[in-house]
Amino acid sequence: MISFWDVIGRSESGTLVKEEEFDWKVAQTAREIVERYDIRYDPEQVVPSDEDLVDRVYQAGLDLFLELGMFCRDTGRVLKFTRKEVEQALKHAPTTVTYGQGKDLAVMACRSIEDTRPPFCLCTPVGAPVAEERFVPMVQSFAQEPLADTFSSAFSQTVHGRPIKSGTPQEVEAAIWNVIKLREAAKAAGRPGIGIHNLVSNAEQTDAILAAVQADFGVLPNDGLAIAAISELKIDYERVKKVAFLRNSGHNKYGLYGPLMGGYAGGPESTAVVLVAHHFLGLLAFEAQWHCCFPLHIHHFCNTTRELLWLISIATQALSRNTHLLVTISPFAAAGPCTEMVVYEIVANVLASTVSGGDLNLVAVASNRHPERATGMEARIGAEAGHLAARQGMTRTHANEIVKRLLDLYESRISDAPLGKRFDECYDMETVQPMQKYLDLYEGCKKKLSGFGLDYS
Amino acid sequence: MNLFEQMAEATIKGDKEQCAALARVALDEGVDPVQAIQEGYTKGMHVVGDRFAVLECFLAEVMLSANAVSAAMEVLRPSLLERPGHGSQGTIILGTIQGDVHEIGKNIVKIMLQADGFTVHDLGYDVPVRRFVEQAEELGADIIGASSLLTTTMTYQPDLINLLGELGLRDKYRVMIGGAPVTAEWAAEIGADGYGENATKAVEVARSLMQEKRGGEVS
Repeated sequence: MISFWDVIGRSESGTLVKEEEFDWKVAQTAREIVERYDIRYDPEQVVPSDEDLVDRVYQAGLDLFLELGMFCRDTGRVLKFTRKEVEQALKHAPTTVTYGQGKDLAVMACRSIEDTRPPFCLCTPVGAPVAEERFVPMVQSFAQEPLADTFSSAFSQTVHGRPIKSGTPQEVEAAIWNVIKLREAAKAAGRPGIGIHNLVSNAEQTDAILAAVQADFGVLPNDGLAIAAISELKIDYERVKKVAFLRNSGHNKYGLYGPLMGGYAGGPESTAVVLVAHHFLGLLAFEAQWHCCFPLHIHHFCNTTRELLWLISIATQALSRNTHLLVTISPFAAAGPCTEMVVYEIVANVLASTVSGGDLNLVAVASNRHPERATGMEARIGAEAGHLAARQGMTRTHANEIVKRLLDLYESRISDAPLGKRFDECYDMETVQPMQKYLDLYEGCKKKLSGFGLDYS
Repeated sequence: MNLFEQMAEATIKGDKEQCAALARVALDEGVDPVQAIQEGYTKGMHVVGDRFAVLECFLAEVMLSANAVSAAMEVLRPSLLERPGHGSQGTIILGTIQGDVHEIGKNIVKIMLQADGFTVHDLGYDVPVRRFVEQAEELGADIIGASSLLTTTMTYQPDLINLLGELGLRDKYRVMIGGAPVTAEWAAEIGADGYGENATKAVEVARSLMQEKRGGEVS
């Protein structure tokens, strides 16, 4: 079984390669492997049901990982692993992960394709920028959602009135502030024991992040952190330092993978294969207990286009059918809060992900870049759709029909999606509850979605 | 197919040898090298850029084409050096700002700018604010381009503009910013001169900044 020390050893002894060469090799190998396994994207099968194709995508992802390995930026070396080492790691991968305590305790468990158990819902504004004074209400709006199993952070644009800068002393202060405020928000939401799956999203440097992970700041023993791979298939020592801390502290850790469709990973087929391969990287280099995917369109920074939905579905199915890894999808919508488009984008992604065996990290909207554009309502929209799809036993074929009807409603507007309304225009800032106009808009969308076959009654 | 069309075609195909060979033909036939770049290679690169914008091709293909153009530029360079301004659209210092290790977006912008005839000096990633300024001074840049993928690092972008002001260099350089969390509003707020939402727009912005800097004259 590959250990932390094996990873460190290989990062010091692997073959020396220039980073640019590795990038080229990713592009070339992914393309060759897609040909080898005859993987073809079908725009009419956005949620495919072809299990032979699903298995080929899995084998292609494994082959790609075995052929390429991963690149360590600090040493300029490639870490390679054998098939047996990957298979052993898969065999010993966790089947459950527990977050929170008391009445807020929640267990993430492995899901299968067309599973009738509801997806685990990690509710978060995914680090959306927000003014300092609205940070707590914004994250509270996610934590208080009844279907939220865990929650996480927005990005406060200032802390103590100062902008946060990576690598500075104020970054350490900001990270600590972030953790304290998250637990404060959990208490304000009436859920003091809810788990926080990613404690710090306003600091990049490891020293700042680790300084904040303290029980005195309200951190629970099973709260955790994300460890993000660098696209594509790269790691660095800043990331592996977090592994060193987390494997000793006992906090939960998960891998975060965002391959860019259109980038070195290529088109939908090869990006699906690269996404599968990233899970092996996370398992071996990060000792990830679960895995969060956010493949993105290189130009639109969302993953609700037809190609992205296909690649998310096929990659999630590939992992669900062939492993017991805990696979989570993070929908990124182009449209912003309080728009019909954001509802349809979120539901399309959630249906594709849920029937494919995924859990849900809900949700980035307005391409995750526009300040104040995130609210707990979008998490509610995603979580309700995911629970409904699972409970009504939705098949991939049925999901495919609904997703295509939803795409008809929004896909032509992806490049010019409405930004929607700000958090303080969507929520009453005193009660931290959604305003009637957003609830009415959602009700209207639910009627349309019911007509498509997602039964809200 | 005339020579310029052949250059465009070879660029679209990413054919490095053919691009270089056609550049040699151009020199032998006394063709103006700037015209060869603008009418041939850049036109081909625009087709590649348009295809990339709608993902009819991907980054690897764009890089192949860009490398092919670079091979042609190597052949044309001695002739270009004899011309005022070296036939360049302008000189740009480009990098991902301090604390940030992400550079795919910045690399795409670099490729598209080079293909458009700009001279680009890529400082890589995690570039300290001060280094942008030092390198701009040393290399005689027209534009400084600072990219950021993270909300924790985009906060260094105003520092770059402020440092230029503090050193009395603000009017000497045009500053462009970009990156996933960066918006037009942020660019306006911090006083950047330009913002490119994507690589294609970044090239348009760079061209317009150079036109403005040169008092309306296009090279």
